[in-house]
Amino acid sequence: AAGLCAYRVLLLRCGGALRTLRGCVRGLAAGPETHFGFQTVTEEERRDKIYQVFESVAKKYDVMNDSMSLGIHRVWKDILMHKMNPSPGTMLLDVAGGTGDIAFRFINYVRSVRERQLQRKLKHHQNLSWQEIAESYREDKLRSHGDSQVVVCDINREMLKVGKQKAQHLGYSEGLSWVLGNAEELPFDDDKFDVYTIAFGIRNVTRIDLALQEAYRVLKPGGRFLCLEFSHVSNPLLSRLYDLYSFQVIPVLGEVIAGDWKSYQYLVESIRRFPPQEELKAMIEDAGFLKVDYQNLNWGIVAIHSGFKL
Amino acid sequence: AAAAAGCLRRAGWRLWRGRAVVRWQLYPSQRALQTSATLWRASNEHKKEQFATTSQQHFDSHPADPQPEQEPQHSHPSYTGQGGQESEDYESEEQLQHRILTAALEFVPEHGWTAEAIAEGAKTLGLSVAAAGIFHSDGSDLILHFVSQCNTKLSELLEQEQKRVQLGEAEKKPTDQFLRDAVEARLRMVVPYIEKWPQALSILLLPRNIPSSLNLLTSMIDDIWHYAGDQSTDFNWYTRRAVLTGIYNTTELVMMQDSSPDFEDTWRFLENRVADAMNMSDTANQVQSTGEAVVQGLMGAAVTV
Repeated sequence: AAGLCAYRVLLLRCGGALRTLRGCVRGLAAGPETHFGFQTVTEEERRDKIYQVFESVAKKYDVMNDSMSLGIHRVWKDILMHKMNPSPGTMLLDVAGGTGDIAFRFINYVRSVRERQLQRKLKHHQNLSWQEIAESYREDKLRSHGDSQVVVCDINREMLKVGKQKAQHLGYSEGLSWVLGNAEELPFDDDKFDVYTIAFGIRNVTRIDLALQEAYRVLKPGGRFLCLEFSHVSNPLLSRLYDLYSFQVIPVLGEVIAGDWKSYQYLVESIRRFPPQEELKAMIEDAGFLKVDYQNLNWGIVAIHSGFKL
Repeated sequence: AAAAAGCLRRAGWRLWRGRAVVRWQLYPSQRALQTSATLWRASNEHKKEQFATTSQQHFDSHPADPQPEQEPQHSHPSYTGQGGQESEDYESEEQLQHRILTAALEFVPEHGWTAEAIAEGAKTLGLSVAAAGIFHSDGSDLILHFVSQCNTKLSELLEQEQKRVQLGEAEKKPTDQFLRDAVEARLRMVVPYIEKWPQALSILLLPRNIPSSLNLLTSMIDDIWHYAGDQSTDFNWYTRRAVLTGIYNTTELVMMQDSSPDFEDTWRFLENRVADAMNMSDTANQVQSTGEAVVQGLMGAAVTV
């Protein structure tokens, strides 16, 4: 019996060793190590964890954005749209566009540009016959957004759901489509889009270089890559205040408003782990983009990177 | 000896290209390959336009290049094909930008000097409309490009005329006639876009654009005076240029609201202004000599008294 006991103990210990061995092998299979906030995890774990983060915050995403940035995120997104300056007939791909903020702004912008164009055309053609005027009105109604299209692509089903609900609520239907997809492996053909945007999403992509390569692939020649993302503040005083606000206030807000401390802790940590402006610029250039440049908003709290596929 | 010189020249040229090749090999990233591939494709599709761009290179070295070009380290790896033959299979970003702007000029009468015209221009080259984002959204890059082009054309015209005079085929014009013809030739280049030109002028006067537009203007005036034979080294240099700048600007403004056939009123205005300027210089000389005489008289009076 003692012999059997000893034998069983030996087996257990072997089993334990085998389990750790198996764990090691699985770890290697799950991919190299990367970061999730300030933790170190494997790539697969990171993807899962981020999916869960956004699944849980999806419903309160917009409310939290407003409260954390004191509404300034709207200005940032407006500036991005103004920088893009899309003309009617542009095809936009908004990746990680979940709740549709960029897509809706795009539709509004293109609509107003189109209206201005039509007004100018009408001013020119003052001596039209009634027939021609009626024809022009008919034509205009069909294309009020001027053939522009926006495709919102997100990896997270919950975020897309919230976005679709918002679109219905606000009355956006034409020229808008929702696609479930991974930024590292986009379900689109080559040379399809005029503009590719990723607003506050590239931070959550596990392999940024793959996402940039995909962006290069799906853009038409002459197409533009725009990335709006939290970035590095170089001013030391501002940096201290910003750190204080990020680590002391934001997770608390997260707990109070959304009931989720951990997700917002992840958010502020992931901002700190994201490469600074120059490094991201180099990565974008490596993917093949030309005339890459960045613009700091609010002294580096947010930066817009832009590149062209030429 | 000639053969040797030729050999040496070719070797030196190959060395220069070799330097660029080495640089290219030092950055073997996908980027460089893709860069050349895309631009090569684009430039091949419009091989004919390549000849047009070489003449535009002329004003690349022009002191007033409106494109603030940087990043020399990212340019534009030379690609040497077989046998060391140089093949211009790529074009630089700057050349592509010039091509887009040139293509955009034909849409100006319809869209004005705006980003929309640039977007249409990019479309004709087979690029996406988003390529207009390379340039500033107020259309100033397009206007500066056009002005630069016009100035280059003017320089070429004046140079040809000078050659003809040197060869004895034409007579040397008197200064006022020369200035009138030069300003008229330059202003006539604006005529195809005259409806939208006031818009262009107002954009050029925006504080952001004043340095570049002023640069282009002064170099153009300088050119005209140079070919007019001005070799002054005193303060006259400044007064002459200031006067001609004034004449040019006022004539341009007159042309904006001129509705006479073929802008006759404008050219008559120009003639009067140039005549005034000539008179002014005579008057200035007279005033100076009179003044000197007066001073001498006074001095004499003071001494005697």
